[in-house]
Amino acid sequence: MFSWQTQPLTWMHFLGMLIGAVIVLFLVLFIVMYTIYFERKVIGWMQNRIGPNRVGPFGLLQSAADVFKLLLKEDIIPANADRPMFLIAPIIAFVPSFMVLAVIPYTATHIFTAGLNVGVLYYIALSSISIVGIVLGGWASNNKYSLVGGLRSAAQMISYEIPLGLSILGVIMLAGSLNLNTIVTHQATDRFGWYIIPQIIGFVVFVIAAIAELNRTPFDLPEAESELVAGYFTEYTGFRFAFYMLAEYVYVFAISALGTTLFLGGWEGPFLPSWLWFAIKTSAFIFFLFWVRATMPRIRIDQLMGFAWKVLIPVALFNILLTGALSLIL
Amino acid sequence: MLFGLPITGATITYFVLALIIIVSGVFMLTLTNVMHMAVSLVGVFLGVAGIFILLGADFVGLVQVMVYAGAITILMVFALMLTHRGLNGHLQGEVGPFRGTLTFLSVAIIVGTLLYAIRSTPWPGSTTALQPFHQSTVNLIANAIFHQYTVAFELVSAVLTVALVGAAVIARKEE
Repeated sequence: MFSWQTQPLTWMHFLGMLIGAVIVLFLVLFIVMYTIYFERKVIGWMQNRIGPNRVGPFGLLQSAADVFKLLLKEDIIPANADRPMFLIAPIIAFVPSFMVLAVIPYTATHIFTAGLNVGVLYYIALSSISIVGIVLGGWASNNKYSLVGGLRSAAQMISYEIPLGLSILGVIMLAGSLNLNTIVTHQATDRFGWYIIPQIIGFVVFVIAAIAELNRTPFDLPEAESELVAGYFTEYTGFRFAFYMLAEYVYVFAISALGTTLFLGGWEGPFLPSWLWFAIKTSAFIFFLFWVRATMPRIRIDQLMGFAWKVLIPVALFNILLTGALSLIL
Repeated sequence: MLFGLPITGATITYFVLALIIIVSGVFMLTLTNVMHMAVSLVGVFLGVAGIFILLGADFVGLVQVMVYAGAITILMVFALMLTHRGLNGHLQGEVGPFRGTLTFLSVAIIVGTLLYAIRSTPWPGSTTALQPFHQSTVNLIANAIFHQYTVAFELVSAVLTVALVGAAVIARKEE
């Protein structure tokens, strides 16, 4: 029922896909809840604070309480907002963030994973739709902070999508496939080991571009609290606000899972079961993102775009050239 | 069987996608706010991408999503945000009954002719194949671009680079 990668599509498999999607949705909601808790604890620890510790043992239920608060809050729609756009923008932002999880290979048995031949492209293509949701949300709010946040995020996310795609290209050249399952199995047999070693430049570019794509510090200009209140979701309340936050944290998980799959060998590893290896590597990746957030100050808007176009893209192109030349020589 | 078509998953998917495309297209034409029109266009792009994927061209379908539903839409929205919000065009008034009837008749004739021509053409081969290509479409496209049509591809890329540099030069302020 769940082995749809190797068998033709039947109603049974379709039902299995639906069940798989629901399971992944709940799993992701759980992961997001504890990612937020983990983030607050880690940053608290790094900044010599305690972090949430009141709700439940060690504050473990803090995120659950926050979610309940958001769901119970009134859903305010500003009088001068563009009502239909204001209502659907969070949904446009969230749906792709969940859809990209379909191609992530969580385990060696490919449970809940689509064996898509163009998996990497699928991820990049769908994640670009989320930008539409963010920009529309900023525009529909009819608020200058939201509008500036929306404009900034459009410019930033479109710009950083290019180095993100280019940095992945090196991995694709080594693996010879866009299929994420194949990329993982190739890393197991590659003579250089995981692609983080031969693709170290690509990995660095990937991490920087990923942080910018996620709108996280030091690239959190679209929602810079000190200048834009909250950026594109300033006017959002209640569960629509929760949708934006959810989309953001699902992307944190998704991009960490993608980075794990592309550069850290995915579910590959000795002794432990494959899903546990995947969880360990993804958690390490997520921890790194939080570490950067706690350490780095926000960069300026003029540095931001220049950095993408004048530094990251040339470096990524150089990496592609290097990968091509080396794979011809070696 | 529906109009001679076997009812399979692919047929149902096709009709759902076609419905999405048509509904989004109609919205695109009837809405008056430019921003709403841009968003309805996303529906058309996504539906067309779905049709591509249904036909087995997964690479082209996803490029359609990335370039059109992603980048082009953002470009349009970006341009609209930089212009005035009050540009929600006051379009021309209602179309008269005579012109409406005439338009309806001509469209009906065209649709009828097209339908008749399509239905009466004997199509070769099987139409139920799930895998129309003998290998991954990525490989096929790569072979076509970088092997068969290398020179043309390089020329196109040169033209695009020139266009990009030209746009930057024109847009730059006189100093």
